[in-house]
Amino acid sequence: MSKEKTKMIHIQIDGKSLEVREGTSVLEAALQAGIEIPHLCYHPAFPSEGSCRMCLVEIEGRPDLELACSFPVKDGMKVSTQSEEVTKARKNMLEFLLAEHPLDCPICDKAGECKLQDYYEQYGFFESRFEEKKEKKEKKVEIGKTLLLDQERCILCTRCIRFLKEITGTRELGLFNRGVHTGVNIYEGNPVENNYSGNLVDICPVGAITDKDFRFQTRNWFLGSGPSICPLCGRGCNIDIEYHPGFPHFPVPKRVYRIGPRENHRVNGYWICDYGRYHYSYIDEDRQEQIVDNKKEKLDSWERVLDFLKERIKKLYYMNKTSRIAVLTSSWLSNEELFLIRKIFQEDLNVEKIFLTDPLPGEEDNLLLTPERSPNSKGASQMGLNFKELDLNKLAERTEVLLMFGSHITEHFATAQTQEAIGGIETKVLLNPHISDLNSLMDVVLPTCVIAEKEGTLTNVKGLVQPFSPVFEAKGHCRPEWEVLVNLAKKLALNFRYYSPFTSVKPIFKKMQKEIGFFGTKK
Amino acid sequence: MSPEYSDQTKKKVEEVISHYPKKEAALLPVLHLTQREFGKISKEEEALVADFLNIKPIQVREAVTFYSMIHQKEMGKYHIQVCRNLSCTLMGAGTLIDYLKDKLNIEPGETTPDHKFSLSTVECLGACEQAPCMMVNFDYYGHLDKKKIDQILDDLE
Ligand code: SF4
Ligand code: SF4
Ligand code: FES
Ligand code: FES
Repeated sequence: MSKEKTKMIHIQIDGKSLEVREGTSVLEAALQAGIEIPHLCYHPAFPSEGSCRMCLVEIEGRPDLELACSFPVKDGMKVSTQSEEVTKARKNMLEFLLAEHPLDCPICDKAGECKLQDYYEQYGFFESRFEEKKEKKEKKVEIGKTLLLDQERCILCTRCIRFLKEITGTRELGLFNRGVHTGVNIYEGNPVENNYSGNLVDICPVGAITDKDFRFQTRNWFLGSGPSICPLCGRGCNIDIEYHPGFPHFPVPKRVYRIGPRENHRVNGYWICDYGRYHYSYIDEDRQEQIVDNKKEKLDSWERVLDFLKERIKKLYYMNKTSRIAVLTSSWLSNEELFLIRKIFQEDLNVEKIFLTDPLPGEEDNLLLTPERSPNSKGASQMGLNFKELDLNKLAERTEVLLMFGSHITEHFATAQTQEAIGGIETKVLLNPHISDLNSLMDVVLPTCVIAEKEGTLTNVKGLVQPFSPVFEAKGHCRPEWEVLVNLAKKLALNFRYYSPFTSVKPIFKKMQKEIGFFGTKK
Repeated sequence: MSPEYSDQTKKKVEEVISHYPKKEAALLPVLHLTQREFGKISKEEEALVADFLNIKPIQVREAVTFYSMIHQKEMGKYHIQVCRNLSCTLMGAGTLIDYLKDKLNIEPGETTPDHKFSLSTVECLGACEQAPCMMVNFDYYGHLDKKKIDQILDDLE
């Protein structure tokens, strides 16, 4: 970009003086200043199209109203977004947009988050003057695995078409015919088939494209939403998790209903992939919610299990035999948790057998999805943990205490194989957010939190350290691994003063920044 | 079976493409050439055009369904397009359209079984001074009445 591009100029919108970058549109300038101008076809990810005409504003010195989305700012420009003429124009545009609209909000999944509905509430309120029959179009076109298109609700803003042209380059949707017959559709039954199709539901400003996964499951206004990070690959896309706040006290069938992108231009822009969007079942399904005590030695509370573990570890420590401890970590753990593992096991206890068990790599695509299928492989590699190569024999050889985080080892070895290898180990403890085949092989299984239930930071593949905090409460008796590790460290009392300030994640993060160069250089 | 251009058309198509900085910009002239050769742009011809212009068939379909001069089905030997816009309607186009429907025994948008005639109604042909008017293929006929229509159709073989 040349220097001139960033020249700043002064304009006024509704009497408010603004300094904006030359070349921005009136609409962008307004949005940046928090002034809302109704718009349907404009989307910040694409060049403006100027097709919906909702964004008309008055510009001093111009004979007609202008499209805010396509009109560039000029020095000294005075814009009015609320004049009588402008609001009248909005009303008129809404009348055009609704002339062929089926007005089926009561049965439309988008109701409550539909821009057309919102604008009608704000500027519409007119008596229908329409006497002609409305055009009948297709109301349920399967345009993709999870996507349904209602052509009657479509306002022809072409956002969907432009997304598939500009972002995925796959062009599965087109605009056919003309005039009142114009309609969006796929070509000859070739569905929208790419790993980003779910974004079409988000960018469609009306209820024309709906998601079969979400459709009719709930009304969107019943849902709460919390910011989080998608843990399903190394990209670390910023997401919003939408859930029913009443669960489980209200008789609703589930907790999490939908995952959507949260804008972050350093990571995922406006999008997330379908893999991350539709695989949210890991948050609520097959969760390990209670402590499993296979030994039947009354290891049925967190307190007792940690005491038991402490005894076992301490004994080995005083016998100078911590080489008989093995720890299986995973990069589903946060930076802080991996840091604690390093402190406690590698530094305090001198444990050598530390392994990394990660999900098997998957296919990547050319947009966001990375081959790493865990959220913190970069963090794990920067933590200064001396991971041993994963080998069942080495892992089990002379091992007396095995501590395992997560069950990804099942992706590397058949359970029978693992069972044979670790069967002879005296103490086997698994910390896992999910129920897995390993449960029966363990002495104790401790229920832990998923990312959405805890606090911490994750380092994405690009090296960006991103904080996350709990969206909702932990299930059952689940606890975050960092808390378990701090409690264990305190019980071991090898370095009590070091761990005692760790009552939350922040002080752990601060220590990590101080001690590990990689995190120190980042904000 | 996917269609193939004759050598002559292929040459023309390639030439017209060479006039544009981007291949896809040649879409409309290429569609005309293609239609001239095959009489229609159905799925097969769309694939052919897409291939030549290095675009997706869906982009060809968008143009094909937008422009009324491009036909997805083959038209009769004579394509009659009757104007039904304001001037022509004021001058009696409605009756003439009904007359043609009866005479040819088809509805607008249809073709006679012998593939001789196709009938369409269109908006202003830009010849209001001759209203009511129609086009047969590329020829204009104005100041129409039933007798004149009989005569015009009789003269076509
Ligand atoms: S389907 Fe939605 S996004 Fe696509 S053109 Fe219609 S209204 Fe716009
Ligand atoms: S690209 Fe990765 S982080 Fe982003 S949504 Fe997909 S799986 Fe999740
Ligand atoms: S937002 Fe400006 S015309 Fe649609
Ligand atoms: S209205 Fe028929 S030619 Fe103009």
